[in-house]
Amino acid sequence: MIKVKNLYHSYSKDDKYAVKDASFEVEKGEIFGFLGPSGAGKSTTQGVLTGLLQLQKGEVTVAGYDAKKFSKKMFNDIGMSFEQSNVYNKMTAKENLAFYAKLFDVETKDPQELLELVGLGDKANLKAGDFSKGMKHRLTFARSMINNPKLWFLDEPTTGLDPAIAATIKDIIWNEKKNGVTTFLTTHNMFIADELCDRVAFIVDGEIKLIDSPRNLKLQYGAKFVDIEYIKDNDSARESLSTVEAKDRNRIKELLDTYEIQTMHTKEATLEEIFIKVTGRGLV
Amino acid sequence: MFKKIWAIFIRDLRINTREFITIWLLAMPIIFALAINALAPSINDSTVRLALVDGENPVQEEYLENFARVSLFENEEAVRERVEKRDDYIGILRDGDEYYILTQGNENQAIVDFAKTLQVLYTLGYDIEDSTAEIIELGRNTPPFKKMLVNISILFGSILGGMLIAINIVEEKGDNTISAINVTTVSRMGFVLGKSMMGLLLPLYGSITVLLITGFGYVNIGQMLLVVLSATMLSLLIGFVEGLANDDMMTAVASFKMIFFPVGGAVAVAEAVSDKWQWTVWWIPYYWTYKGTGEVLSETATWPRMLLYTGIIIALCAVVFIVMIPRVRSGLEKS
Repeated sequence: MIKVKNLYHSYSKDDKYAVKDASFEVEKGEIFGFLGPSGAGKSTTQGVLTGLLQLQKGEVTVAGYDAKKFSKKMFNDIGMSFEQSNVYNKMTAKENLAFYAKLFDVETKDPQELLELVGLGDKANLKAGDFSKGMKHRLTFARSMINNPKLWFLDEPTTGLDPAIAATIKDIIWNEKKNGVTTFLTTHNMFIADELCDRVAFIVDGEIKLIDSPRNLKLQYGAKFVDIEYIKDNDSARESLSTVEAKDRNRIKELLDTYEIQTMHTKEATLEEIFIKVTGRGLV
Repeated sequence: MFKKIWAIFIRDLRINTREFITIWLLAMPIIFALAINALAPSINDSTVRLALVDGENPVQEEYLENFARVSLFENEEAVRERVEKRDDYIGILRDGDEYYILTQGNENQAIVDFAKTLQVLYTLGYDIEDSTAEIIELGRNTPPFKKMLVNISILFGSILGGMLIAINIVEEKGDNTISAINVTTVSRMGFVLGKSMMGLLLPLYGSITVLLITGFGYVNIGQMLLVVLSATMLSLLIGFVEGLANDDMMTAVASFKMIFFPVGGAVAVAEAVSDKWQWTVWWIPYYWTYKGTGEVLSETATWPRMLLYTGIIIALCAVVFIVMIPRVRSGLEKS
């Protein structure tokens, strides 16, 4: 569904690249997570994939369209949910969706049904301007589904949502996957990526450092950690240590010999820990 | 594509009718037209005002009313008091069998002479029918002041169209919705056309409203709309630029007001400066609009001349377009 080969992009059109030599493929029906800290190049890559930024160097194909000659018709097959809510505040929720439905050439979903799906059914006739941040976010998410997209770009789809609503959104994404929808998920939230993604790409400083499934990453980097909580100087302390690396193994021994251990658990490495380990960078 | 342009237009129309500022813009042409009717004198209005004693000579009173605005007062003292006020009132009072003219002394001499002449003609018993002069009309059947006000209102209407565009674009920017439109099948040109429709219709509605209410409904509407629409293009372009350059409605409207400097200059030169200096404002498209609209209102316009003016306006707008379109394009990309 998406093919990217040796993609470069520079806003200043020189060798200061926001994205450097990025290559990846996303299969039909796959949920592909694009993970990285702010300024890593996620939005730039997404901008090129959606035609909002001009392709400068490299080869990009999206939903069968070559990025060198993107057509507006492409958006009949694409849905996009933005991190920052962008709905008409002076229109009701239903009017917002009904208006966007008219901007596509394909069969669209019923606005009321979509609002029910994201838990805004009873707010259909309220102006979006009166919505909370989370409600606006759900409306933006609902709008991205209006044209029954085959390829779905989701930028931080659960940000600012309470856990129950976030769970609903995750269920919707799962259901769409079952319907064969391909999802390109951009997020900081490693838990969401872990739960939803078939594969993830770690991007830092414009370069993709790694692409693999969360499961493989955990097998490779996880299950070899132990979380130790102990008392040190009458205070509680905590360390997360590898069970395979010599330095960490020695530290575990030292902790067991020296301090009073309160709890000790082997654990799977989280995606965030793996990200930090692989890239040497945090996600903020 | 038309369906999508229409959807964008209907959305704007729906939102605009919910907003006070845009309802105000829609009401403005009506208010202007009513104000023009109230303020502008009719072509038969006389500027010569006479004060007479009520009931003293009804025949003379009836005679003078044919040529001047006559006000009647209770007695000579009341006439004197009226004449002594600041404006130009001429008293005609009886002294035995004769009449005398009462003035403050600082009135326009032509008005005083006109009052004197009227009184002489009345005394001699002459009427309009006694004149042997043949009247040849040159076709000026509208008062010039009223025509000027109507012309300015129509010009103002085309500017309001641009202001409405600026307001609508600021709303899109405030809500971040341009980015959402960018990921639909609507092309940039389709979006610009859809957003322009309210700005195009407002001047059309404004022009026709002003013409009908002020009694100019008989002029060639086709010629009028041709000139108005060509000028509106420039207003729309400026509206887009100001809308994209500003983040709140009041700043956008305030910036947009700068356009009134060249417009005011064009009107002032067209009305008050001699022909040999008219070239100084040829570069202002609104000058040609004002000139064209003026000719349409006077019914002296011809299609070739209107097409010429429209061509000049479009050529000048094209220059502005070339200069400004990169800013519009970049603004739409960044929003």
